[in-house]
Amino acid sequence: MKNYLLVFFVGSILLTACRKDEVDQFDGPSLTDIYGDFNIFTPFAVSAPTVDFGAGETVHFTAEFSKSVDWEIKVTGQTSGAIKIISGFGSTIDMSSSNWIGDITEFPIFQVEICDVELSFLNEPDVFTEQVEITSPKTNDGFLVADFESGFLSGWSTFVQSGANMDFQIKSDNFSPEQSSYFNMAGEVDWDYLIGYVYFNASAYGAPHYPLSNNPDNEYFNFMLYGEPGLNNSIMLFQFTEDDNNDGNHNGTNEDMYSLEMLVDWEGWRLVSAKYSDIPCLVNGQPAAPNGNGVHDPDKITSINMLHLANPVTGFAQSKLDYMIFTQNGPLKP
Amino acid sequence: MKSALILFICCLSTVAFSQSKKKVQFVGGARSLISHMSMDPGAEDTVSRKKSTGGYALIDLGFKINPNAQTEILGMIRINNDFGGFWGGGVTFDVRQLYVRGVAGKIVRYQLGNIDYKLTPYTFYNNDFDLQMNSSGALRIKEDVNNYETFYSKNNTWRQQGAAIDFGLAFPKVVNEIKFNGFITRLNPTNFTNILERLYGGGNMIVKQSKYLTVGFNHVSIFDLKETAIGTPAYRNNVSTLTAQSALGKKKWRLKFNGETGFSTSGLVEDTSSLSDYFINASASFELKDLGLTASIGYMDNGADFRSFGAQSKRINYDNVNTIFDRYTNDQILRTTSLYDLYNDPNYYNQSISTGIAAYNPALNNVLPFGVATFNRKGIYSTVNYQDKKKYVNLDATYYRLSEVRGQGTTELKKFDFAKTKLDINVSNMFSWKKKQTVNVGWSYQATNRAPSPFGGISLTTQALQVGGEFELVEDLFLIANYSYFMSRGNELLAVRDGNDEIINFTEYNINAKEGYYAAGLRFNFSEDVYLSAFYEGNSNNDNEINPYALNQVMVFYVMKF
Repeated sequence: MKNYLLVFFVGSILLTACRKDEVDQFDGPSLTDIYGDFNIFTPFAVSAPTVDFGAGETVHFTAEFSKSVDWEIKVTGQTSGAIKIISGFGSTIDMSSSNWIGDITEFPIFQVEICDVELSFLNEPDVFTEQVEITSPKTNDGFLVADFESGFLSGWSTFVQSGANMDFQIKSDNFSPEQSSYFNMAGEVDWDYLIGYVYFNASAYGAPHYPLSNNPDNEYFNFMLYGEPGLNNSIMLFQFTEDDNNDGNHNGTNEDMYSLEMLVDWEGWRLVSAKYSDIPCLVNGQPAAPNGNGVHDPDKITSINMLHLANPVTGFAQSKLDYMIFTQNGPLKP
Repeated sequence: MKSALILFICCLSTVAFSQSKKKVQFVGGARSLISHMSMDPGAEDTVSRKKSTGGYALIDLGFKINPNAQTEILGMIRINNDFGGFWGGGVTFDVRQLYVRGVAGKIVRYQLGNIDYKLTPYTFYNNDFDLQMNSSGALRIKEDVNNYETFYSKNNTWRQQGAAIDFGLAFPKVVNEIKFNGFITRLNPTNFTNILERLYGGGNMIVKQSKYLTVGFNHVSIFDLKETAIGTPAYRNNVSTLTAQSALGKKKWRLKFNGETGFSTSGLVEDTSSLSDYFINASASFELKDLGLTASIGYMDNGADFRSFGAQSKRINYDNVNTIFDRYTNDQILRTTSLYDLYNDPNYYNQSISTGIAAYNPALNNVLPFGVATFNRKGIYSTVNYQDKKKYVNLDATYYRLSEVRGQGTTELKKFDFAKTKLDINVSNMFSWKKKQTVNVGWSYQATNRAPSPFGGISLTTQALQVGGEFELVEDLFLIANYSYFMSRGNELLAVRDGNDEIINFTEYNINAKEGYYAAGLRFNFSEDVYLSAFYEGNSNNDNEINPYALNQVMVFYVMKF
């Protein structure tokens, strides 16, 4: 019996003594980081006074604080009004947390301009400012269908109903989210859904098909669309006609046509992106089986038909379109 | 040697059912409740209802079938009818219990279907709900109902669905006997897409060397079955422990030693950074048999990363919200969960083991929120039990003096004090009255402190008192009455954890709450398992200092078990 007790006690003491020293350790973030006084150890700075995004350059911001905080950097273009917001939580801001490639958070897109940079904090009153100059805005890889900066291409075809207050034309003013021009679509047609259309034919770019890959999972169709405040009746329909039999033409009876349709029920500019393989075949707005081989073939697109529609009983409809571009491997990050 | 080794059934009671001559028996229970509840919001409230009336009648009808002497099958259905429903309206039918059990080959006891199971407090254990004290009177009736509804047998078992077996071996030399227990249950099924099939299994081997020493090896594991879903990593929580009990004594005294130690690992199977830690809990108790006094002292050290979700799951799900009078005043303040709600609403109670650290209420239990297996606690504890020979009084007192093993957000450790006492006074025995008169008292105190720092210290105190009694007026008719008081005051920093249970932030918790409760009524016992009770109760709650409120309720219970 004595032996049992001895083993019991010695074992208990040994196990207790085995506990590794945890006096200097703690779980979770340091309370100093969360509740300590806030001070700037390293002042807020921009990594370069100028940046050429068009050449692939980037810029980042640096700062170091006495504790971890929720921080936010807001970059505002002085000319365009474009906004980029970078935010994070921590006690340092460095390249890994604040690298900027020239993209935006809110439309429009940055131009060649000077930008104001403001650093603020969620629970601290301090605000720090800097400036950075964009010598060339970011360029986007991909196939540009239209940005309306050079007017109508000769290969595009258009039709506009003879309704009231019709305004189907390229405009150049401060509304443009990218550079200076966009396509305005407005009018009232009380006998038909169709207000007007533009067919962006592949032939306008010198080939029977759009120069895209054959992988529909890698091709993303992007465009910027403006919803008019107070109006929510515009319907945008994009039709992608394919030449399944490679005869150079699209025949609706035995070849695929995929359609992207949306009600423009928002206000302001919005970027819309869709993976080509996700774009359905629609008949009268309802999903249907395609008439051709049933395979999304982006390399066989002959035309992108953009139709501006509205229910005839809803009256005047208006929307704006800009920067239609195909990107590869992901949606556009303007 | 072959003849010396004897296989035996561990528990003789398991074969008791086989002695019954009836092949089919009806078992179950019935209950009916009528209640009328009103709320005083304590402020202008023209948008909330302030009264609620309802009730139900239910019957649990079980068929216990013994097709042979070694097998028992139980199927139980519940028919529940909310008052006001006719011709099928408000009536529900559910399967409440289903199991098959028996003895295979007169050696191995088995049970399939619903099983009530536990192993040790560190492996598989259903802890009592927080601040549960010596319930009596109306609270005892409600506690019994909640326990019945949640299949809680006061034996700290979890109701699971699966299979269990046990058998034993007896030896003539070296050791007296060895018992084996094993179980496997299903915690959640796969959804065939991203949720893996999760099982919980384990068992133990108890070696009784002699009347002086018993040693046990216990192992439990929560594990996912790989490839039952696509692309979801499998999870494991393994716990292995060693238990030991040693005792020696004489006619007037007895000295006992108890201990359990073990380790756990938890995390994703492919993740090399899974949590692992160990614990030790050892105690010694000394009993003076003539005095009816037993005192013990123990030491526990539960590592900060010790995880044993079979023992750390909570009976109360504090993520649930009130379903009655959930908002009040014209500002539609959300009514937080009170102690009163925990006695009134069985929907607060968990019936499953959850992986991941469960939500808890620091006002109700901040010291050992996950039972004795609570991680990140070390220190001493002591218990005293006194029961006089004439059974006038029965006293249980426990005190814990603990601290964290590892700090949270700082190297400064929190210190914990936890004292709880239960006192039962049998007035009938004291005065040799024939009619039963009992008084029950419970008291609980918890304190959490951390030394002041530049960011403020932590000081949280909780105290609860409960006094009640049952007094027989005439034969089988009892006056029941009880009063309880709860207060919690102070501040705490609560850890905010991510999906991997790692602390990512802290939230400040401040409380200054008081809650009072009283109840009085009558209970008539038709027999030991059948009674009718009617009582009135009032509850005042000051959880929200700005908007205290009060609840009053009249309840009529009819309870039968057969």
